[in-house]
Amino acid sequence: MRKLVLLVPGLLLLLTGLLAQKTTITGKVTDEKGIPIPGATVKVKGTKTGVAANNSGEFNLSVDAGAKLIVSAAGFTEKEVAATSNIVITLAEDNKALSEVVVTALGVKRRPKELGYSVAKVSNEELTNGRSTTVANSLSGKVSGLAVYNVNNSVDPSVKITLRGYRSLTGNNDALIVIDGLPMPEGGNGTILNLINPNDIENISVLKGGVAAALYGSAGVNGALVITTKKGSRGKPKVSYTHSTNAERLNQMAQFQNKYGSGSHYAAGFGTGGWKPNYLDRMHDNWRSYENQQFGDAFDGSMRIAGRVLQDSSRNMLPYSNIPGERERIWNTGLTVNNQASVSGGSGASTFYLSYENNLTWGIVPEDKAQRNGARFAATTETGRLKAGFNVNYVQAAYDRTTFDFYNETINQAGNIPLSTYRDWQHNKFGNPNGYYNDYYTNPYFRLDNERVKYQDANINGSAEFTLKLASWLNVNDRLSAMNNSRTQKNSVGKFIHSDYAKNLAYVPAGVDQGDGKGITRALTDFLGSVSDNINTENILNNELQLQANKDFKDFSLKGTLGFSIYDRKTKSVSVGSSSIVVPGTFNVENRLGNLSGGESNTEYRKYGYYGEVQVGWRDQVFVHVFGRYDATSKFFKQTRPTNMYSYFYPGFDASAVVTDMFPSIKGNVLNYFKLRVGYNKNGNDNINAYGLEPTYPNSGGFPYGNTVGITVGDVLPDKDLRPEFVYSFEVGGEFQLIKNRVGLDLTYYNQRSEGQVVSVTIPRTTGYGTLRINVGETKNWGYETDLKVQIIKTQRFNWDFSVRYSYNNNKINSLYKDVSEFFQAGFSYAGAFLVKGQSFPQMKAISYVRDSVGRIVVNKATGYPLNNGPLKTFGRTTPPHILGAGTRLRFDDFTLTTNWEYRGGNVMYSDLGRQMTFTGSGKWTEQRAPFVVRWYRQICTK
Amino acid sequence: MVTGHSHLPARFSYNFNNTNFNFWDNWYDVLEDFQYAIDNADARGMPQFKGPSKIMKAYVFQQVVDCYGNAPYSDAFKGSGSITPKFDDQKAIYDSLMVLLDGAITDLRANAFTGTSSGSDIVFKGNTTNWIRFANSLKLRVLMRQSRVASRQAYVVAEINKAAATPEGFLTAGTDVKCNPGFTQSSGQTNPLYANWGYSAAGAVLALARFPRPTTFLFSQMIAIDDTFRLKRIAYAKGGENPNNSGVSTQPEILANYVGVPFGATSGYLAQNTSYIGPCFITKAGYAKDVYLMLGAESFFNLAEAKVALPGVTLSGTAKTYYEQGVKESFRVTGTTSDPATTILVNGKQLSDWSVALTTTQQLQTIWLQKWLALTDFSGLEAWSDFRRTNYPNLPASAGAPVGQALPVRLFYPNTEEATNGANVKAQGTINVFTGKLFWDID
Repeated sequence: MRKLVLLVPGLLLLLTGLLAQKTTITGKVTDEKGIPIPGATVKVKGTKTGVAANNSGEFNLSVDAGAKLIVSAAGFTEKEVAATSNIVITLAEDNKALSEVVVTALGVKRRPKELGYSVAKVSNEELTNGRSTTVANSLSGKVSGLAVYNVNNSVDPSVKITLRGYRSLTGNNDALIVIDGLPMPEGGNGTILNLINPNDIENISVLKGGVAAALYGSAGVNGALVITTKKGSRGKPKVSYTHSTNAERLNQMAQFQNKYGSGSHYAAGFGTGGWKPNYLDRMHDNWRSYENQQFGDAFDGSMRIAGRVLQDSSRNMLPYSNIPGERERIWNTGLTVNNQASVSGGSGASTFYLSYENNLTWGIVPEDKAQRNGARFAATTETGRLKAGFNVNYVQAAYDRTTFDFYNETINQAGNIPLSTYRDWQHNKFGNPNGYYNDYYTNPYFRLDNERVKYQDANINGSAEFTLKLASWLNVNDRLSAMNNSRTQKNSVGKFIHSDYAKNLAYVPAGVDQGDGKGITRALTDFLGSVSDNINTENILNNELQLQANKDFKDFSLKGTLGFSIYDRKTKSVSVGSSSIVVPGTFNVENRLGNLSGGESNTEYRKYGYYGEVQVGWRDQVFVHVFGRYDATSKFFKQTRPTNMYSYFYPGFDASAVVTDMFPSIKGNVLNYFKLRVGYNKNGNDNINAYGLEPTYPNSGGFPYGNTVGITVGDVLPDKDLRPEFVYSFEVGGEFQLIKNRVGLDLTYYNQRSEGQVVSVTIPRTTGYGTLRINVGETKNWGYETDLKVQIIKTQRFNWDFSVRYSYNNNKINSLYKDVSEFFQAGFSYAGAFLVKGQSFPQMKAISYVRDSVGRIVVNKATGYPLNNGPLKTFGRTTPPHILGAGTRLRFDDFTLTTNWEYRGGNVMYSDLGRQMTFTGSGKWTEQRAPFVVRWYRQICTK
Repeated sequence: MVTGHSHLPARFSYNFNNTNFNFWDNWYDVLEDFQYAIDNADARGMPQFKGPSKIMKAYVFQQVVDCYGNAPYSDAFKGSGSITPKFDDQKAIYDSLMVLLDGAITDLRANAFTGTSSGSDIVFKGNTTNWIRFANSLKLRVLMRQSRVASRQAYVVAEINKAAATPEGFLTAGTDVKCNPGFTQSSGQTNPLYANWGYSAAGAVLALARFPRPTTFLFSQMIAIDDTFRLKRIAYAKGGENPNNSGVSTQPEILANYVGVPFGATSGYLAQNTSYIGPCFITKAGYAKDVYLMLGAESFFNLAEAKVALPGVTLSGTAKTYYEQGVKESFRVTGTTSDPATTILVNGKQLSDWSVALTTTQQLQTIWLQKWLALTDFSGLEAWSDFRRTNYPNLPASAGAPVGQALPVRLFYPNTEEATNGANVKAQGTINVFTGKLFWDID
């Protein structure tokens, strides 16, 4: 009915417009204080006529009588007025961005100005502008302090998301992911974020620090990403369909040497009889047709055999020269095709949202593929005092990947091998494992085909929410959320038995065998096939019951919440397997030789908490927020322990003041808005695995043998007094809107102090254990964050935004454990991550060589081997202190161009791939072989 | 070349560092299990496991000392009570092991195995008498190792006499210390030697089966005393085992087909032209063979040496009977009958026929060589320790070593211990593996 009523004045306006005559009017545009707004746009409604105000804010314009003017200016709310002469048009400042509501911890909605801590909101539009099909990649580079680490980039990418760097020494540093109120389990980031459709997300609130996420309890100690999904909005149903196709190509490869071919250390060694002084002579003696190492003689373009003579007497004769681009050619172009449709709408008191998505991915690793099908349904309704809503998301995803390290083995093969021609190993006899040239590595395409993992995820998650209005100022709200994920997985290795000829008789022909008669006997191991089946299920249930109050008294406003939370997570996994199969190609554990292997694991974790918060506002300018939570966790519970070892209370407060509202006189053309905020809290953290208090006694290797049982003392020794960690977070910051709200600046300083982090450290085996799980002394983590957003150009048709985000993060270990000053955390014997008292963590230490005054490596004069400096040398921290992100967005009418860019630096890393490429001699840094100088080390360890 | 397998060039050229040969971590891991059993056996109502656990702890700890010298003993296995265990003097550990073994014998006498728990004893099936004999023979091993140190001889003699005076005595003829948890034809459950150097559970030859080969030096020592009997048991003819005829070589088993490889050679010796580890250790489908902890032969050779070198010992037998029994035990365990043993015992060669070994030096050399041969592939570590103690036989250095290379006399403390217990490792001084002799290695 309302529509009809609106139509009538519209028609009248049109009629009068047709009959009217033109007159010239003058006017002035000012802000609320009467200060002129130069450059304001004044347009005649319904026409293309318009002018810009001059430096005094004045304009004149020819209009038809009775016309309407539309007046706009950057940073101000658009206004429509009747066109009369000598008009003064006052525009209100546009604080829309500042009055929007953000979702804070536990779903509590607040206006940004009320918050005493840093929150970033990522809208659906910002999230999906790159059309990435995973949420994690969609977030990359868009929020200061947030880092998305790609752990691997397969068709089932694994990511790690951290906020404000590394706080925990060895435990979980991942941000908590909350989807519609359901906290997802730690370490599960990759899985759930791979399953959710970015388009279904209404927005993400990024609660950066411990203060912001305090009410989530321990899980929130690293900050949180609070994801709110779409629920639909009232109005005409909106149907949308989106298709996107993304192609993905290998961007960069390691650098390879292209001068030397197959060979190993066959030449007589330094210090032994027969050693040849000319390195080229030694390289010549090193050459072997079947080697994966590349210490043979220099490529010379001659035709040489690769590998051995095949059973049919054929020989794989190849030009002995590097094939440019071959190592890139073996990869595929990846492709992601995404189709999705959604319907949303609502009428009366109800809204709904329905979506379906299909996503298909073909990886850059040949044969790898994945698909995802998901549907979401959400609805809300209101009746009388009751508001209810629910949403449910069901996703099926299937992945088919190789378990074989294709990258590693393909980069470690000589440059003259036409690897890409061996793709069809069933038909190309030189690609077949019986005829493949290499004695140590089988054709990577064969292994790619032969070693597979296939798994399916079925995930259902959702929540139901009820709000009952008890009084105008009091609500009771309950939200029950649940997730069930089940994964069925099958790992398989096909059976392949090499021919007797390949195993025992294949030979290197005389003349090119370098003196071994018929070449050394090769070490071909048959693939006996294996199959392993795993089923994992995970059930999470979370309930939040809240009493919410909201009341204003004169100058004061009061908002408060009392809540009770219970969280339960159960997991179960069962596996069965066999390491040999009988009938090739049938991957069923019944088709086996020997005993069935298997295992089972069950965990259950429960936590409950009471919490409360009160926020007092004064004149909508100053807000003080006090909160506290009491938690009890099963992870630290034992019958014999006192209550305070598994339950704990932690309080906090934050405050914000809108300084420009308190002292309006400081507001001007430059400074439009200034808010100051400060927050401090304590947080308890139960950051250990379920049952982490108990020593374990697993089966010893091979046991049980029939009825003979063999149990061994587990490697990990938990300290018997292990208790939860406490984290004290502080942050202070300011938010500025400058130059007619065209420039937004957000500055934050924060620090966190952790007492008693739970850390597993390597201890000497002579203690009887390999790992000790303890509370360490004290660590600190601090940093700065800067967010700058600039609207460079803002016109009706053309917009240009630019944003820069910089964050600095550092940390330090103040004390460790007892009088220990250093712990080995993880890594190899020759390079590893260490926790060192008084330094930032983790610190990388690695073997270093003795060098002379000009940096050359000193070698043992008897053996020729480099001398090392003994104890490992410290190279620096492994996590980046500096993260710089920048983005720009150009919009012209309906076309938008967005770019995002991120830099992380200031850290060191150790690349074990570099070590392997040195071992095989494929790295570019091994190319200069004349002088005996090892150059690779500096390359991979430099800052 | 593939990383991580046995023929790493740096090792063949004796270019060792503290990342090589880390037996330390595994041994201490296993020792913790024995310590746990010792500490908890009474409380759990299973006191019969205490004695065997103490014996096994002593057995492994002697290996720790024989490889590394000083090591954490009194301060070890305390968990968080001492996360940087202090090192004990090697000699003091040796003495502690004797006390530990005395305790083991007392425990074994007090707590016999019950019928049901006998099955849990994968070594002697609940026979406590044999456990006590093992304890005494292990004492003998510990004592004879230090018997060439003049200042220790009185102690050694007294302790041997104490062990000899026990009613159980030492390991008797026909008894080896071996275990078998129930190896079966299933992956991960086959004999570890078989799984490492032999075949997969399904019977496929493993790639690594071709790498360990008998040395020319070993063959020359055996041929010099006409011992082709054991030679054909500890080696296959060139080309190895016939996959279709378990335990039998592919090539005819004539002496000419037994070709060794110079120790440390990395190329030039094709598998089909050289011998493999023999049928006494690896046969196709022989996945259930026992694992040997100590040979009866070794105990007899130790008794023979004690009789020759330590005049004060009160052992009932003669050096000759102990020696000859040792040789016969060795023939038995390699799978030959005692008749060929009798042949080499009277062949008129000094290194096998006792009647030709006239001087003390000759007698010791004869015992040492035969012990070294007997230990072949049964216990490389024991053979190495005895070689360091006796300098006999005159082993060549690796073919890959520089001319004039000294042989190693100990191992480096592993980098894992150094990374986590640095101060205590440093307190042991700079380790030189070519000159840093252990206390019992006098020359």
